[in-house]
Amino acid sequence: MRKLRFLWALCLLPACLSHSFSGETFTEELFIRGLPDGKVASRFEFSTHSHGATPRNPQNLSVEDHSQHYTLFPLALGQILREYAVTELHLTLNAGKWNYDRWGYPDEPDVAAGAALWAWMAEGSAGANPRHSVDARWRDLRNALAGLFCASIASLDEQRTTSPARAFTPFGALPAWPQSGPHAFRHASLPSENVCTENLTPFLKLLPCKSRSGLAHLLNPHRLFDADWHGMGLHVSWRPEDGVQVRLTFQSVFDPLRSGTSRDWSFSSLFDRTVDQACPVAASSLVLVTLPVREPYSIQPEPASNANNRGVFPITEQTVPLDISIHWLNPFQHATIAAQAPLSVRRMLRGAAQSHGTLAVSITNPGSAAVRVVYLETLPWIVHLYLHTLELSVDGIPRADLLEDISYIAPVPHERASTLEAILAIPANSTVSLRVGVGRAFLRYTEHPPDAQRGWELPGAVVVLLDSENKPQKPVGRWVSTNKEAAQRKQAQVLAQAQPRRIYTPALLVDPATPDFSMPYNVIIFTCSLVAFIFGSVFNGLTRRFVVLRASPE
Amino acid sequence: MKLSLDFGVVFPVLVAGRLLVALTNISDALKHDHQLSTPLTSYLNLQEGIYLFKNGIDPYSGGVFRHSPLFLALFTTVLPTSRTVSSIVWTLSDAIGAWALVQIWRARQRVAQTSRDGLIAAIYLLNPYIFMSTLSLSTSPFENTLALVSFMFATQGLVSPSLLAAALLLQLSLSSILLLAPLIMLLASSPVSQLASPRAFSGNGKKMAPLVAEFAAYTAVLTLASALVSGGWAWVPQTWGASLTLPDLTPNCGLWWYFFTEMFDYFRPFFLMVFSIHLLIYIVPVCIKFQYDPLYAGFILLGILSSFKSYPTMADQGLFLSMIALFPETYPYLRYPIVTTLLHLHAALLMPLFHHLWLNQGTANANFFYASTLVYACANGAALTDCLWAGLRIAIGEPQEGFVVAQE
Repeated sequence: MRKLRFLWALCLLPACLSHSFSGETFTEELFIRGLPDGKVASRFEFSTHSHGATPRNPQNLSVEDHSQHYTLFPLALGQILREYAVTELHLTLNAGKWNYDRWGYPDEPDVAAGAALWAWMAEGSAGANPRHSVDARWRDLRNALAGLFCASIASLDEQRTTSPARAFTPFGALPAWPQSGPHAFRHASLPSENVCTENLTPFLKLLPCKSRSGLAHLLNPHRLFDADWHGMGLHVSWRPEDGVQVRLTFQSVFDPLRSGTSRDWSFSSLFDRTVDQACPVAASSLVLVTLPVREPYSIQPEPASNANNRGVFPITEQTVPLDISIHWLNPFQHATIAAQAPLSVRRMLRGAAQSHGTLAVSITNPGSAAVRVVYLETLPWIVHLYLHTLELSVDGIPRADLLEDISYIAPVPHERASTLEAILAIPANSTVSLRVGVGRAFLRYTEHPPDAQRGWELPGAVVVLLDSENKPQKPVGRWVSTNKEAAQRKQAQVLAQAQPRRIYTPALLVDPATPDFSMPYNVIIFTCSLVAFIFGSVFNGLTRRFVVLRASPE
Repeated sequence: MKLSLDFGVVFPVLVAGRLLVALTNISDALKHDHQLSTPLTSYLNLQEGIYLFKNGIDPYSGGVFRHSPLFLALFTTVLPTSRTVSSIVWTLSDAIGAWALVQIWRARQRVAQTSRDGLIAAIYLLNPYIFMSTLSLSTSPFENTLALVSFMFATQGLVSPSLLAAALLLQLSLSSILLLAPLIMLLASSPVSQLASPRAFSGNGKKMAPLVAEFAAYTAVLTLASALVSGGWAWVPQTWGASLTLPDLTPNCGLWWYFFTEMFDYFRPFFLMVFSIHLLIYIVPVCIKFQYDPLYAGFILLGILSSFKSYPTMADQGLFLSMIALFPETYPYLRYPIVTTLLHLHAALLMPLFHHLWLNQGTANANFFYASTLVYACANGAALTDCLWAGLRIAIGEPQEGFVVAQE
């Protein structure tokens, strides 16, 4: 009898697996598109919804939390989110420079170099427990994520933390808890972080099927970290109608032309793997390939359906093993590529001296309409701006009127980074150049990184496009799905979230003057000897009496 | 000779000449120079603070602006910050300093006019350490001028203006508190040279307590005014606190910056305390030893300050060197003036060179510049100990045949 019941349960298992567990759903999608310069951009998106779940109210941090039972939602992450009462969290680990001019605007907008972490958290009960304050939880969150992702997130300390007001807006909604204050925003970035396999392994562990089946099987570290650009992201957000959503993304830019003249690609050429099994717990598992418009090509296998010029390949037990391949009939012609992004931003640090220099930024608007942008600069305290030297010019003609608003938080040596947020107007068809003098700090010998001569990487600036009504522009064409109902839902979400379009500039290298690391003892000895010598001479003169002696004949 | 040093001719000509040089573009080349201006006195930082203040951002919330709020009040209300106006104001400040130095000399000699007046003004106005600092628009020449004005009023017996100038000086630079004791003694006694005839303090000791109280009152009023100007007390750790805790390790010609760059983190507070207290140790012995000539005590303390304070500029040492002109009676007793001169020449040539090689050229390292600041400190120490020796040795008089002068 017991055996029979067990068999029944076994039979029911697949049926259970294919549906959502206790209000959790997991979907995975892979987007692949060709770029104008022959490269291939791929984006994996794994999202897990915990329907009906709410972020933890920091007022309740002193009360024991309800027990956490997850089936698809990653437990390791859930524990961190609840322990530190994080409402919304974003972590990106990217490597390389996203080339906006040639590749256009990325599907996953956050392409800042290195590690970047930003979160919204509500203020805990004031005075009750100092560990419940936003800053203490932000510190603990960094340490916890550093452990989870094997990344140097812990070194995103107070010296790198900023709270810019305009450039970042929450992806989801922020609950209004009656006792808590408004949500506080914290952002930190570490451009020198190296992203590698040890970060991908914990990333894969957060997926319900790991990398054994489904689309995640394609995440082959040997190929991903060989790509021209690659970046992974973790995005946690909450919406009242949806619950908590965890989105894990992996975006990469491959270059099929690196080892030949053909743009042809396939799963096996890009990832050295094929999709062999469908992930049994995924509610939907899709591959979307943007199909070329003007050029003749052939695709294998044929897409199941075609929406918005995208071929859709659902992954089911019937379609695996899946190895999509595209073959172009004409050879690739290298040609000059028109600017793909609405703005082109260049940022440089000028000046040969190690004590001061000039930060020069040029923002080009190739379009025929003037745009307004937020320019965000977050600099560690080793570089400080001389804001009184800020100059804006178009073709060498000073244009102070282009600066509409400016907010600035000055740096504090050894403690706090500086934040500059300026709203600029960029006239149509012109290049605005912004120049501001910078001073470079001199560090204590213990504050230099181990490879001090290499210098420090300054985080890239962020340029956010504002639409005419002063609201950040929403992204275009990010949510596409074959499921009509899902598409409508996602369209509604797009309208609700109105995410700003951010453009990140590459990191800058600054080399602060270095002391001689080998001679702390020598310096202490030399300086102290000199001080003691002068002190001794002065007191010798002051304390001893003068006497006149008869010079003896011998 | 006498004609060429006539004060009425020399002084206007020198001031006019300095104005001409100040109005050239030379200050753009010098404003980044670390020997001439420190983070506490730099013109760039001053402009940045004024810009932030005018735009409604508290300049003391960051770590760049470390000037006194009195500068904010001065430059946001009375004076514009255009470079031409600044050059004129800075040069005029030096002119006042030179004039005060001449007044001190006249008061010390108890005469209305001497043939050395022009020479003394020239020694101050043409001193390259002071001249270059003024050209770089560093605010340390203001400190020099206030110190000299304070001593000038003290030698003229004008109590309140002297103490007010000293209180203003304290607002600009915390370490100038060293000058308070000789100043009070000077106000209570006479400025006439007593170096050759040492005796017990002649002044009225009872007069000193009210003087200190008056100084404290001025300081309290100015501190409150600073708090009102900056809208809080954040300026205290940023200005006075900076000279005690050394948050900015930008190189300068002093001894602190490299010492605390290379200092082990757990010893930093201890050595900051040692270096700060070290300055205070000198006050009492110097004032006791030179109780018969407080102006000389003040002069020696200025020398100590310029060698050992946390953010010195070359202008500080320039003030000490120019003040030697006030004490010609000690010249025969200087033991090694040529060595001191050569050391200063050596340091003054090496420091800019090594600074440039390290930070601009990239072909030297920090030790080069550090070594040249050690030479500069040696030069300061040589000048200081020699002046100290001469000031004490003068009491014995001319050496006699068959006798030697020694210390017990």
